[in-house]
Amino acid sequence: MEYLFNQIINGLCQGSIYALMAVGYSVVVGVVGMVTFTHGEVIMIGAFAAFYIFQAFGNNLLLGLIASFSASWLIGMFVYKVCYERFFNAPRHISLICTIGVSMLIKNLAQIIFGPNQKPMLNVIENKFFALGTIQISLVQVIIIITVVVLAILLSLFINKTRWGISLRAVSQDKSASYLMGINVKRTAMIGNCVGCGFGGVAGMLLAIYYQTLSATMGSSLGMKAFSSSVLGGLTDIRCSALGGLCIGIIENLGITITSASFRDVFAFGFLILILIIKPEGFASKKGVRP
Amino acid sequence: MKNIIQKCKEIYIKNKIIIVVLAAIITLVLPVLVPKSYFMGIMCRILMYATLAGSLNVINGYSGQMCIGQAGFFCIGAYCEAILATRFGINFWIIIPLAGLVTAIVGLGISLPTLKMKGIYLSIVTLGFSEIVRLTALNWESVTGGPMGIKGIPTPNLFGFEISNSKTYYFIFLAIAILFIFVTKRVVKSRIGRAWLAIREDQLAAKSLGVEVPKYKAFNFMYGAFWAGVVGAVYAPYVRFIDSTFFTLDEGFNILSMVIIGGQGTLVGPVCGSVIVNLLTEVLRPIGEWRMVAYAILIIVMMWWRPQGLVGASDSILAGDKGNGKKLEKSKQKGGGAHGVSVRS
Repeated sequence: MEYLFNQIINGLCQGSIYALMAVGYSVVVGVVGMVTFTHGEVIMIGAFAAFYIFQAFGNNLLLGLIASFSASWLIGMFVYKVCYERFFNAPRHISLICTIGVSMLIKNLAQIIFGPNQKPMLNVIENKFFALGTIQISLVQVIIIITVVVLAILLSLFINKTRWGISLRAVSQDKSASYLMGINVKRTAMIGNCVGCGFGGVAGMLLAIYYQTLSATMGSSLGMKAFSSSVLGGLTDIRCSALGGLCIGIIENLGITITSASFRDVFAFGFLILILIIKPEGFASKKGVRP
Repeated sequence: MKNIIQKCKEIYIKNKIIIVVLAAIITLVLPVLVPKSYFMGIMCRILMYATLAGSLNVINGYSGQMCIGQAGFFCIGAYCEAILATRFGINFWIIIPLAGLVTAIVGLGISLPTLKMKGIYLSIVTLGFSEIVRLTALNWESVTGGPMGIKGIPTPNLFGFEISNSKTYYFIFLAIAILFIFVTKRVVKSRIGRAWLAIREDQLAAKSLGVEVPKYKAFNFMYGAFWAGVVGAVYAPYVRFIDSTFFTLDEGFNILSMVIIGGQGTLVGPVCGSVIVNLLTEVLRPIGEWRMVAYAILIIVMMWWRPQGLVGASDSILAGDKGNGKKLEKSKQKGGGAHGVSVRS
């Protein structure tokens, strides 16, 4: 029983990281209107940026956060220029295949530049445990959950209160109408894409801190998990996809308590297929959110 | 570029019989002319990937669904052969259709939850499925041998001939490739194939004209999966040892890049792509790990300049929205900054 509770706590922590990835993913899908395969690679780049910053400037979490955010922002700009800008009017599959190409490009370049092996992440947060009765929570988990919550609140403020956020929402609802209203659609779509990618990068840094490892090939399964979480939340609904991320994290951790840890990804994708069979529109009950 | 392809087509249509006979003679005489096993190995790879890319092309090119995890089906076929041959000693020639059937049934299971949704869901589900298959093969030790793989897969036997090296195996791959192209050509020209093309061009219009979209989509997926399974079953005794590292996502992307570079929606396209990519692999061997980078750049360049691929179906939706593109250019010329961003629902 104790073990189960600890696993749920682990699941919550991991789920909050997945929620951050999923939020980024749904911002990208919502604003750009096209689905991306590069999210996993963006996450990986964020993790590596934070890793090198920690190596160079010591264990400053805020600095690493900014570095991973901005590195992923730059990658997001690259992805936007290559995959989306030319293809707003073209059939969807063209930009889709383009994102697959870019994802291959980034992954293999990263393997060449960063080396193909796993790297140990530095001990950024000291290893302390708090005991709540029989349940143990580590300091890392607490800091991760706090970071995710703060970032989520910041994103929600950005989207609901600022001018940029309003134009982002307008673009995600109707591109031609917002174009007629005098919004620079292409630039807004790029900003939306970059914000989503930046959140993915921060999630990558948190994951690397949590698992204590990072590698150039970590992206592909993470990208799919981000997709699963945001499908669970209705793909473009930001709040629901955060909830979906939490769900996926908890289910994974409960699943590996039953079997072995090597089946972790199997549970995430099996759950995705199950969701698509039972309730394909996710938690968001809005009609017409299908991409 | 367009003119060259057009001319090639005209020449082919004029001298159809001569070209087919010539090609048949060349392919049959090739092992006698160049008996080096290195060269024959490359030929085997080209033929194998041509069939594999062709099976993916049936899904991606003919019905416009996006499958990315073809390596998963390939894996299932190969493991099917390996397990049935080593554990139960079933004849190779019986296993081939059996492996294909098993893979087709798995394909049906994959496509069912996504039939009513648009393509993107299918592509991610296939991607996840490919990983699930690989992880299962890696971890289910009692059946698949886990990380040790399956060793000593028996070589096939045809009327007393032992088919064991690449020179003789070439003929099996050739037979499978020819069978695949022949059957697919017949299927594509039939009612089923026309339904697939209609779904690719406009799903809604096809539905309104009485095409049962989910049924044909599922059948299309099963058909593609079937051939991937067959190729997997033929591949396993060729290498005689399989483990899960053969079937990573990179393998799936490799197959996908062949389809995209060669051309989607035609039968020649994947063959062409397979020849290009495999020859490139041999040429680019010195640059080693930069190879995948080169493929990635090739894919992006292909999408920018010729989305339907080198010899793909240029009169289809795969070639992009030509009318819209022209309008966009015109509006750019007129208004300078008028982008004309509109969303296709």
